[in-house]
Amino acid sequence: MLKIENLTYTYPNGTTALENINTEIQKTHIFAIMGSSGSGKTTMLNCIGKFLKPDTGSILINGKNIYNIEERVLREKIGIVFQQLYLFPHLTVLENIILAPMKVLKQDREKAKKEAVKTLEKLGINELKNSYPSQISGGQAQRVAIARALILKPSYLLLDEPTSALDVNTTGEFGKWLVNLKEETTFVIVTHDVPFASEIATSGVLMANGKIECAGNIKDILKTLNIKT
Amino acid sequence: MYRKMLRIIVALMVTIMSSVFINLSAEENATFTIALTGKYPPFNFYSNKGKLVGFDVDTAKKISKHLNRKLVIVPTEWDSIVAGLLFKKYDAIIGSMAITPERAKKVNFSIPYYISGAQLFIHKRNKEKIKKITDLYEKRVGVGLGETYEHYLRKNHPSIKIVTYKSTVDIFMDMHNNRLDGFLTDRLVGLYQIKKGHMPFIPAGQLLYEEKMAIPVTINNTELLTNINKALKRMKEDGTFTKLHKKWFGSASVSDPKAGRDMRTEVIIKKLAQGFAITLFVAFISILFGFILSVPSGIILNGKKTFLYHILRSSNDIIRGIPLLIQLFFVYFGAPQIGITLAPIQAAIITLTINSSAYMSEVIRSGFMAVDHGQNLAGKALGLTKLQVFRHVIWPQSFRVSLPPLVNSVVALMKDTALIAMISVGEVIRETQSIISVTYNPIKYYFIVGAMFFIFTFPLMKMANKLEKNIKERGFTHA
Repeated sequence: MLKIENLTYTYPNGTTALENINTEIQKTHIFAIMGSSGSGKTTMLNCIGKFLKPDTGSILINGKNIYNIEERVLREKIGIVFQQLYLFPHLTVLENIILAPMKVLKQDREKAKKEAVKTLEKLGINELKNSYPSQISGGQAQRVAIARALILKPSYLLLDEPTSALDVNTTGEFGKWLVNLKEETTFVIVTHDVPFASEIATSGVLMANGKIECAGNIKDILKTLNIKT
Repeated sequence: MYRKMLRIIVALMVTIMSSVFINLSAEENATFTIALTGKYPPFNFYSNKGKLVGFDVDTAKKISKHLNRKLVIVPTEWDSIVAGLLFKKYDAIIGSMAITPERAKKVNFSIPYYISGAQLFIHKRNKEKIKKITDLYEKRVGVGLGETYEHYLRKNHPSIKIVTYKSTVDIFMDMHNNRLDGFLTDRLVGLYQIKKGHMPFIPAGQLLYEEKMAIPVTINNTELLTNINKALKRMKEDGTFTKLHKKWFGSASVSDPKAGRDMRTEVIIKKLAQGFAITLFVAFISILFGFILSVPSGIILNGKKTFLYHILRSSNDIIRGIPLLIQLFFVYFGAPQIGITLAPIQAAIITLTINSSAYMSEVIRSGFMAVDHGQNLAGKALGLTKLQVFRHVIWPQSFRVSLPPLVNSVVALMKDTALIAMISVGEVIRETQSIISVTYNPIKYYFIVGAMFFIFTFPLMKMANKLEKNIKERGFTHA
């Protein structure tokens, strides 16, 4: 279980981005962090991913603070796919995926390749394995980035605005892939796309002005939203 | 595979470098080291067999015999020949240097070993118009750079427009091209070279002044000076100089224009090949070491503004803001001041290494800047260590971006090696000039050398273009 306690984060310029956040993310869920732009959702994701250090509060994985977990071990527990994906342009799709297993998990090349092909097949993009990132579409790149993170078998995989570069059709299809993969990891999705979140997530939080406005079951959150609008 | 090759290359280079550095710093005792240009026939020049010969060379040989020391000749550019003596790169200059009050302040001259004088030469077709030097007021007159004639003209005939040249051959070219109305040089040298070069030039008027040629040594080296003077006196008494005069200025040598005019083809090829080998050697080593130094420098320059950053930042700016030639002199003549004696080739390699590293580190730095910071984050998110992110993610991308401009620096550096002739390194341009001083065919030999450079630089430039195209196709650089 991923637990966030009393999380507060202030930007260097003094603006408070997160204020006293408390929430729990259960395993084998798809958890959605929703909210409009500037509500603090990406900041929260970066705190969970240990890319930003909060002022106060703690993030616990199975009761252990992420700042007390060895970097390498932490990266196997929490994966992240950035909004811009950041695929490595000098490597093929396959090489992008096997780099971490080879260098971090010290797998030999053949084993890493086998695993990578399995993951690529699951995501339906095996035929792209020898392509370079510049040669594939945005939706395909999205899946490659997810495959690259999934290959390390993280307990939690954080996705920052995964649908921002996708059109309506691919968004729907992408949602289906995620639901199929939810046995493999717990997805924590940051999105402002409420229909998409309501389609695939089971629980989540709705954020506004750096605070959690409501949390819990996705349907309850939707109800709150409907009352508001 | 690449790493293995790189390791082999580095090992090879270290071996070569250490051998170069050790060999050149060893032998010192019992030698008599002298400098001359090797481009001043009939006093010192390269024979058709490619050997240094001439009146000066024979004089030097005889003196070293009298001194009972082994003669070592360091061919040096005239512009830096006195500086080299002052910094003890050699014991003496036996290169037809005239005694002047200015020079005598800095060096000690021996007794004169021959006497000549300044002569004005003009084109045959002007012999009715120009009879004496005053006829050339407001006209253009050529002199060799750093020779005494320039000073004489400025002082005594200030209205003459003086044009300075690196060699007599260049002066001849401009006489032909009507860019000059006359030139001033040593009477003996002028007559000899005009004959050998089949030039339509003639002396005009009397000797403008007499010049006494002598051998300078450093101020404190009185023991050597005494011994040289003793040797010269003996050579005058025993008829050695009479013989040498006959040999070099007697009717036989000057009247036979064929003798010494041509250099044998195999000698020319050998000289060019040797010169080019030195050029390539110096360029290759300097580029290799420059590159090795430039990577950590590039990383530091792309990082936080630490103490080291500021040191590198300012030294790079200084190096890139000062002409390479000045840097070469600074290293070559400056190192002995702090107790380090460097052979010319060592000084050349050190200077070019530092210089190329300054340029290349800027390229490497901008290569790093071209890589999106997100690449770093992505690597970190996958659990790669900082070093792994650098090695597998950042470096391969930045290096590819840097490669085309790096290749351009390599091409520029290869061409810059021409400058090292100024500190007595026998690279290809210097060899070419010595060939031209005998063959009087500058266009042909400069063309050949130009082509030699081009053969090496052209594929490099093509490669850079191809790489650049490749990089664009792969979308390496981020907006």
